[in-house]
Amino acid sequence: MPLLLASAAIFSGLVVTLVVFFVAYNAVPTFRAEGLSFITRGGWDTQINNAFTPSKTVFFGAEPLLIGTLLSTVGAVLVSLVLGTGCAIFLSELAPAAIRRPFESLVQLLAGIPSVVFGLVGLSIVVPFIQNYVVPANAANVVPEIPIEGASLLAAITVLSFMILPFFVTVAVDSLRAIPRSYVDGGLALGMTKWRTITRIQVPAAAPGLVAGLVLAAARATGEAIAVSMVAGAIAFSPNLNHGPLYMLLMPIRTIASSIVETGGDAMSIPSIASALFALATLLLLFSLILSLGARWAFAWFNKRMGVRQAGGVQT
Amino acid sequence: MSVQEKLRSKPQWGSGFGQFACWVAAAVVSAVCLSIIGYLVFQGWHSLSWKFFTTDPSESMREGAGGGVRVPIVGTALLIVLAVLVMFPIAVGAATYLSEYMDESSWFTRVVRTGLEVLASVPSVVFGMFGLALFSMPIFTFLSSSGAEGASQAFGRSFLVAAIVMGVHVLPFVIKVSEESIRAVPVSYRRGAHALGITKWRSIRKVVLPAAAPGIVTAVILGMGLIAGDTAIVWLLLGGTTTMGASNWWAPSQFLQVLRGTGATLTTYIFFNSPAGDGNSPQLAYAAALVLVVLVLALNVIASIVGRRRKRQGS
Amino acid sequence: MSDTFASDSAESLGILETLVRPAVSRAGEREAESTSAPMVTVNGLGVAYGSKTALEGVSMLIPERRITAFIGPSGCGKSTALRCFNRMNDGISGFRISGGTVLLDGQDVYARGVNVTALRRAVGMVFQQPNPFPMSIYDNIALAVREHERGISRSTLDGIVEQALRQANLWDEVRDCLTQSALSLSGGQQQRLCIARALAVRPTVLMLDEPCASLDPISTGRIEELLLELSADYTIVIVTHNLAQAQRISDKVGFFLMGRLVEFGDALQVFEASARPETAEYVRGAFG
Repeated sequence: MPLLLASAAIFSGLVVTLVVFFVAYNAVPTFRAEGLSFITRGGWDTQINNAFTPSKTVFFGAEPLLIGTLLSTVGAVLVSLVLGTGCAIFLSELAPAAIRRPFESLVQLLAGIPSVVFGLVGLSIVVPFIQNYVVPANAANVVPEIPIEGASLLAAITVLSFMILPFFVTVAVDSLRAIPRSYVDGGLALGMTKWRTITRIQVPAAAPGLVAGLVLAAARATGEAIAVSMVAGAIAFSPNLNHGPLYMLLMPIRTIASSIVETGGDAMSIPSIASALFALATLLLLFSLILSLGARWAFAWFNKRMGVRQAGGVQT
Repeated sequence: MSVQEKLRSKPQWGSGFGQFACWVAAAVVSAVCLSIIGYLVFQGWHSLSWKFFTTDPSESMREGAGGGVRVPIVGTALLIVLAVLVMFPIAVGAATYLSEYMDESSWFTRVVRTGLEVLASVPSVVFGMFGLALFSMPIFTFLSSSGAEGASQAFGRSFLVAAIVMGVHVLPFVIKVSEESIRAVPVSYRRGAHALGITKWRSIRKVVLPAAAPGIVTAVILGMGLIAGDTAIVWLLLGGTTTMGASNWWAPSQFLQVLRGTGATLTTYIFFNSPAGDGNSPQLAYAAALVLVVLVLALNVIASIVGRRRKRQGS
Repeated sequence: MSDTFASDSAESLGILETLVRPAVSRAGEREAESTSAPMVTVNGLGVAYGSKTALEGVSMLIPERRITAFIGPSGCGKSTALRCFNRMNDGISGFRISGGTVLLDGQDVYARGVNVTALRRAVGMVFQQPNPFPMSIYDNIALAVREHERGISRSTLDGIVEQALRQANLWDEVRDCLTQSALSLSGGQQQRLCIARALAVRPTVLMLDEPCASLDPISTGRIEELLLELSADYTIVIVTHNLAQAQRISDKVGFFLMGRLVEFGDALQVFEASARPETAEYVRGAFG
């Protein structure tokens, strides 16, 4: 029987290599044909359209997808860092007992909302709101090259922020609560205010957990497909600062993950498209590999710097 | 400055702002969460009817002709059941082995744990692609034969395929929560069994696992919530349809046909009927979203009730 | 029964005042000085946690620049009393002062409008378990100093850190590794770092709550030595379970039992000629 258990453990631990193998193997044609230019060249949308014509040989350029993924992830991580740290401090230090429990349930509720529901609500509320109240009236004249219609980088960041926030908050609260009470007493006894004790002692001491939680939240944001595809405009476009930061946020994007669900239906029967999509999936795998190992590394590095010697895993 | 003067000095100010900001952050998050739920209730409530639950989605792609959620609900339930069947034995086996048999310091343990950590961060859309790559191989035709008569590839999309991949997708999460609850079983239980001269495996089976059962059940229920909420895997591996693989899917004789066929779930129904999908019947999407959120919420509540029972037992 | 305890009346305060005499227990180490002024005046202090009384009718005069030791069995209220001096009890739910006052240099610390953070700077505190922050040795000391003196120059700060470490007899051991994590120090070193940290904000009173409870005898000896040195400049109050320790270093001793201050007086007198039978029993080791 232990042998059976062992094989279950081995399977669970190693199945990820199967995932990597099958996805990367199918991406080989694209990477062989294009090499690095796959991620340095643009024109994804037209290329996909052209690929439906069997006679044409198509090269794909996923650079705008990469840019879109990075911008939306970084934006969402920044927003949820600010909001989430506030919520975590509120939950673990400031909230009166009567508010703490209900708020904790709300955060869990937010974590339980499926991504397609986030996409639906984002599409119904966030996108029209941006279109009506944020997009300047003369947007079409200022930015003639791309439609500025509400579905945008900004919408993607907004929706992603609230999707990843509960995961960050949960990890952050856990690591704040794990800070020994004696650190707090030490700070208070030195005449520091409660707030300064939180910001100067507790938050820095919880930093390994906070950073690890943030990196895991980032992994979630990079991989989110459905919700982003619903609110981001689905145009492979690299937002730029040519018209200032506001217009950059209002430009539509298409992310790597959302391109896969948008294109990956029947189009999978066309080998060149299928391989290009597998190449996108390989990029996502690479990100999740980097981010999950990065979370673990950051956790260990911060702990080591603080002289905490015990080995600890990252709370997922 | 004398001690007296010091004590009489004005306190530092400025810390009020930071605390206020934290309250604001919490208020914003609460408001967003409540308005999402409120919006779904407000928009979806009047579409909920007996008819909504008992009719199937219409096959046409016409706007505004979405139909009800009977097939999607059955699809979600079927997918959950199948995925749990796939995942449960592996998850419990792995969690038991990880907590009871493995030497934490060995390189092998580290490899397995790292593998699980990476697996946990793989996005579901990549699992979908993985499923397509793996189960399109001709030897897997038995899992998804429906669309591939005479083709060199299997269709790669069916309830069976989606359930297997979904099971792998939620595996790291379920293992982690189960392992925690197995580890939480007091050492004294094991010692007691040991003192009676029972073998390790028997003591695990008779003492440890029963004691950890509520925790494992919690893990599985939470995993069911994740399965119900996932869209990307379903979209890629169950086919972007709104119907079952067999028209008279409820007939027992069609069972295998259904399992090997494509289908719909609540999530794909929502996506299909959202303004972003081909169906474009937002009212139906809101109603289905409300049903889905209530379902996931109910699973979470059940999980926390079972989890609480575990805590009481443990103390 | 209660009137035989040192309790909350004005007359008992008068009795206590007569007890404030030059230190005699360490006569060999230090010349007898003239009566030193009380730094902390406790007058009929009572403390309750919810409905449970923790302290009742505690009165004493803690002399300036002397070592005062609080002794007594676990749960007798000595730590509670100590924590009233810098209001560290404020955050505990249910805590309230049920009567009496604590005066620091004549100022009621529980009076309205008292700046609690300033109070805690004036009354430094060291805890039972060494609790250095998880940051460098330097930052452990500099943190609170930076808080209190915004915009302090690096060189001034360096000076303060060095001085505090020297005062705590730690400088020679850590001067080359100030950027190293404080958690890498030994327990005794960590405790001295905590003392240095408290000294760096220039307190008037230094309180230590069983500072040697988790330390080995050698580290304990060093801390005791250090406290004797520091008592030239600081008013020191120490809570201890270790009667020998109280005997070795203290000038004044307060004996707590079940939330009351049974006896307060010169160390020699308390140990050698207790006025109360409970004290005599305790110092003989009959209970506790």
